[in-house]
Amino acid sequence: MTTGSVPAEGSDSTGIKAAGYYQLVKAVLYREAVLFVRYPANAVGGIVIALFFFGVLFYGGRMVAGRALTDSIEGIIVGYFLWTLSVGAYSSISNDIASEVQWGTLERHVMTPFGFAPVALAKGVAKIIRTFLTSAVVLGLMLLLTGTSLEINLFTTLAIAVLSILSVLGLGFAAGGVTLLYKQVGNWLNLLQFGFVVLVSAPALELGWTAVLPLAHGSGLLQRAMLDGTRLWEFSAVDVGLLVAVAVGYFLAGYLVFQYATRRARRLGVLGDY
Amino acid sequence: MTTGDGGRAAARDGPDAGVSADESASDGESATASHADAGTRPPAVAVDGVTKRFGSDEARVTAVDDVSFEIDAGSVVGLLGPNGAGKTTLIKSILGMVLPDAGRVRVCGHDVQTEPRAAYAAVDAMLEGARNDYWRLTVRENLRYFATVGGVDPDSVTERHDRLLDRLDLTEKADVAVRKLSRGMKQKVSLASVLASGAEVVFLDEPTLGLDVESSRTLQRELRRLAEQEGLTVVLSSHDMDVVETVCDRVLIMADGRIVADDAVDALLRDDGHHRLRLTSRDFDAALLSRLRETGTVTDIDRRDRETRIEVAADSDGLYALMARLRDRGVTLDEVTTVDRDLEGVFVALTDTDAASPDSESPSRVADGEGGR
Repeated sequence: MTTGSVPAEGSDSTGIKAAGYYQLVKAVLYREAVLFVRYPANAVGGIVIALFFFGVLFYGGRMVAGRALTDSIEGIIVGYFLWTLSVGAYSSISNDIASEVQWGTLERHVMTPFGFAPVALAKGVAKIIRTFLTSAVVLGLMLLLTGTSLEINLFTTLAIAVLSILSVLGLGFAAGGVTLLYKQVGNWLNLLQFGFVVLVSAPALELGWTAVLPLAHGSGLLQRAMLDGTRLWEFSAVDVGLLVAVAVGYFLAGYLVFQYATRRARRLGVLGDY
Repeated sequence: MTTGDGGRAAARDGPDAGVSADESASDGESATASHADAGTRPPAVAVDGVTKRFGSDEARVTAVDDVSFEIDAGSVVGLLGPNGAGKTTLIKSILGMVLPDAGRVRVCGHDVQTEPRAAYAAVDAMLEGARNDYWRLTVRENLRYFATVGGVDPDSVTERHDRLLDRLDLTEKADVAVRKLSRGMKQKVSLASVLASGAEVVFLDEPTLGLDVESSRTLQRELRRLAEQEGLTVVLSSHDMDVVETVCDRVLIMADGRIVADDAVDALLRDDGHHRLRLTSRDFDAALLSRLRETGTVTDIDRRDRETRIEVAADSDGLYALMARLRDRGVTLDEVTTVDRDLEGVFVALTDTDAASPDSESPSRVADGEGGR
C-alpha cells in the first residue's frame, strides 16, 4: 500500500482490503467457535452445572411442593431456559471486558477503527449465540429428564427469546461500563443475575407495570408460545410492540451508559488498568 | 500509506467503507500518500500542548505537562524516562485511551479524539508485552483476528503474515497455541500481531523484555527494516538503553511530565566538551565523596570491598580542580580510565536517576498463567 491513489472497493494497489463489520463479526464468531471446539470442557461444564441446578430445582422442589410443582414443570422449564439465556447475555459483555482487562488485550479492542462499543457488541453477540447453543442442549436434556414436551416453533421461540434477552444485553452493556470504571466488581454485578429469576417469573405476579421491566413481558410471551403453541403473529400488536420497545429501549440505554462509562474511564485514565 | 504491502486499507475505506472513508476524505488522503510525497505528508504523530492531571485539589498530580513534539513517518523514536515521568500517560493520551485536559494529538493527520476511527486505522500498540494477544488461539489465528480488529480483511494479508512469521522465526510455530510457547516467543507473537494489519505507526512498550540475545537482535533488525524499507513509524519505550541506542533515530526523554531532551541519538551522544573518567582508589571516604557529589562532577559511585570507583564528567577546568582537590586530600588513584559517552549516561545526567530502575508506570506484568484467554 504505497501509492497515493484510492483503489475502489476497499482494497489498495497491493490487494489489501478493508475489513467491514461482516469480517469483524466473522472473526469474533470464529474465535468463539474455536474456543468452544478446542476447549470443550468449559462448554460441557456449563451444561452440567445448568442441569445440576435444574435438578436441584426440580427434584428438590418436588420433594417440598409435591404435585403442585410437577403440574407446572413445563413453565419452570421455559423459565429456566430463558434464565440461562439471560445470564449468558448479561455476563457476555461485563465478564468479557473484565477478562480482556486481565489478559491485557482490552486496549487492542479500544484502538480499533470499528469503535470499541461495536466490537464489544459483536463479542457479546458471539457469546449469546454460544449461550443459545448450550441452552438449547440444556432445554433438550431438561425435557428428556422430566419426560415433558413443549410446543417449540423455532421462529417464534427464537424471535421472542432474542428480543427478551436484548433488554438484558442492555443491562450487560451498562454492567460492562461499570466494569470499565471500577474493574473488580464482578461479584456485585453477578448478584443481579439472581434478580433475573424474579423478572422471568414476573408474569406470574400479574402486575401490569412489570411488563416494562427487562425480560418480564418476554417471559410471559415465551410461556404462551412454548406452552400453548401461540405463534408470533398470533400475539396482539400491543404485545409484540411492547416486547420490541422494551428490548430496544433497554438495549439503547445500556449502550449509552457503556459509551458514557468508556469516556469517563478515559477521562480518569483507568481504561485498561487492572 | 507507507508500510509497503501492509498499510491498512481501513485507513481510507474504513469498516464497511463508512465512517473512516468520510473522515479520511475530509482530512485529505494523507494516510495513502507514498514516500514520494513525503514532504507533503503530515507527521506520523503530532502532539500539541498535551497536559493531563489526575486527582483533585491538593492531591492533584500533573502527569503530562504541556508536551509538544512531532514524529516523522518512517522514523524510530525512543521514549525514555524514569518512574513516574509520565511516559505511559503520554502514550495512552496519544492512543486516545486517556483524555488529556488540554492539547491535541494527531496520528497520520487524524485527530485521535474527534476522528478516532481514522486514527486507529493507522496505529496499533503493544502495551502489555507478551500479554497482548489470546494465548488459547494459535499464532496465525491471533494474526488474523487482530488484523481484522485493526480494520483489515485477514484474507488479503495472508502473505504479509507469512513473511512476518518468517522474519520473526515463528513459521514453525504458526499453528501452535500461544500458551504453549516460551515467554520470548509470546513476546514475538505480540509484536507480529501488532504488525499484522499493517499499521503505519506502532507503539511498543519494552518490546525486547524477556527475549534472549538472538531473539532481541532479530526483533531489532526487523524494526529497523520495517522503518527503512516499509516506512513504518515506531515509538518504543524501553529501559534497555542498548536497544534504544541501536534501533532509534531519535530519543525523547521525559522527567516530571515534561520532555527534557529531544534529539537524534547521535546528537545526544556527541561530545559535549566534557571529559569522562572512571577513578579507582582506596582513599575515598564518605565525607570526601559527599563533597565531590556537591561539585556536580561525579556521575556515579560504586563502592566495593576495599576500593571505590567514581565516574566524573567535567570540562578541563573542572577536571583540573577535581584532581587538585584529590591531591590536597592525599588521595592516591589506583586506576584512571576514560569512559565513552553512552545513552545511559545521558539519561542519568538529564533525569538525575538510575536508568536501570524498574518502571512503576508500566502496565504490571503478570505471571505466565494462562487464565482463560
